[in-house]
Amino acid sequence: MTNPPIDLPAHTGSRTTRLLGAAVLVGVVTMVLLGFFVAPEDDLMADSVRMIFVHVPSAILTYVALSVTAVGSVMWLWKRSVWWDIVAHSSAEIGVIFCGLTLITGSIWGRPTWNTYWEWGDVRLVTTLILFVLMVGYLAVRSMDGDESAVATRASVVGIIAAVNIPIINRSVEWWAERTLHQQSSITDGKLEDWTLFTMFLGIVVWGVFYTWAMTHRFRIAWLERELRDGDLDEAIAARRAEAATSGGAS
Amino acid sequence: MSDTVADDSLAPHEPRPARTRRRKAVPALIALVMVGAVVGLVWNLASGSLFFYNADEAVERRDELGDERFTLQGLPIGCSIVEGFQDDLPIVAFSIMHGGVSADIVHFGDPAELFEPDVPVVLDGAWVQSDPDVDGFDGLADDGWYFASDRMRVKHDNDYINDDGYEDRLAESAEQAVVAEACA
Repeated sequence: MTNPPIDLPAHTGSRTTRLLGAAVLVGVVTMVLLGFFVAPEDDLMADSVRMIFVHVPSAILTYVALSVTAVGSVMWLWKRSVWWDIVAHSSAEIGVIFCGLTLITGSIWGRPTWNTYWEWGDVRLVTTLILFVLMVGYLAVRSMDGDESAVATRASVVGIIAAVNIPIINRSVEWWAERTLHQQSSITDGKLEDWTLFTMFLGIVVWGVFYTWAMTHRFRIAWLERELRDGDLDEAIAARRAEAATSGGAS
Repeated sequence: MSDTVADDSLAPHEPRPARTRRRKAVPALIALVMVGAVVGLVWNLASGSLFFYNADEAVERRDELGDERFTLQGLPIGCSIVEGFQDDLPIVAFSIMHGGVSADIVHFGDPAELFEPDVPVVLDGAWVQSDPDVDGFDGLADDGWYFASDRMRVKHDNDYINDDGYEDRLAESAEQAVVAEACA
């Protein structure tokens, strides 16, 4: 009468993800301690400079996450690889969080330093906002009804268009060096040193580990969701029916 | 819960009434937002090169700009800064410099928190053909014009290495020789 239930894991964790999660927690605590108590304040900006430890890593991980989405999108369009499609989708979800964090921390940092939360005329700021809108658009396309393959194709096109914006955002402060409120890159210009430099790099590493941890979980969830949708749904319903029958309906 | 009930809950629902209009509207709305974002990107990149005029450009285009509002950027010169009040409104008068050209500024309102000599400022306002009427202000430009500003942002640099105070930064400034001569 019933097919055997599909073998769903109780959770998406593993020994590796638990280690990654623990590393993130330790890393965040270390960042807070270094950021607030060890790294010096800036001559000009005083304590507000500490925002760099969150803002810059968030921006870099936005680039990484969306680049992965773009690669996954290309692979979907080229090879019709479901694995890459799930990678693209998962990375976009995490990337939109990093992009939002970049905008929020930048805005908070801008108030005491630039004397404004936002500047519509600044290329770096506006192109980053547009990237955020495109990433949200990507997720909106993903959530649309319709044939799964067609949705993935449409989303892939959006993911690739959004990724074109990354080099523009990154280079904008150099291309419009004389026309932008946003400062140039401190990393490539060697304008950071000692604990400030170390703490910022630690931030990039910690955010990178967090991205890996979140990607692993999100990928596994998305993969299991697809497994359920693609052919195992009947078994799941049958299993639920059997479970309801054996427990006397107390579900 | 009985088996029958379980069967009922899992029975296929009646097909919902068609929501064609909504189904068409959502993708159209998403597409509209995406197209808007791309248009915004192109527009922003095209206009990005005109976000502000540097002091030398604004002085050169003074006739063309007239009393039009625009954004101006330059390096405040330490020896020129004078703070005061005009009708209970705080004002700060100073001269800025860029490309070896100076312009006199009167900013109405509180200056930005990080306003200080040799840290560039970005100002919104317009040219006024008159000498600035601020007690004690001796503008470096002194050309019968001043820029009346009502919004100030600070354009700090990307240098987070400490121990480079005003004197050090001034010494590194491209305007160093002109500033030294003007303030002498």
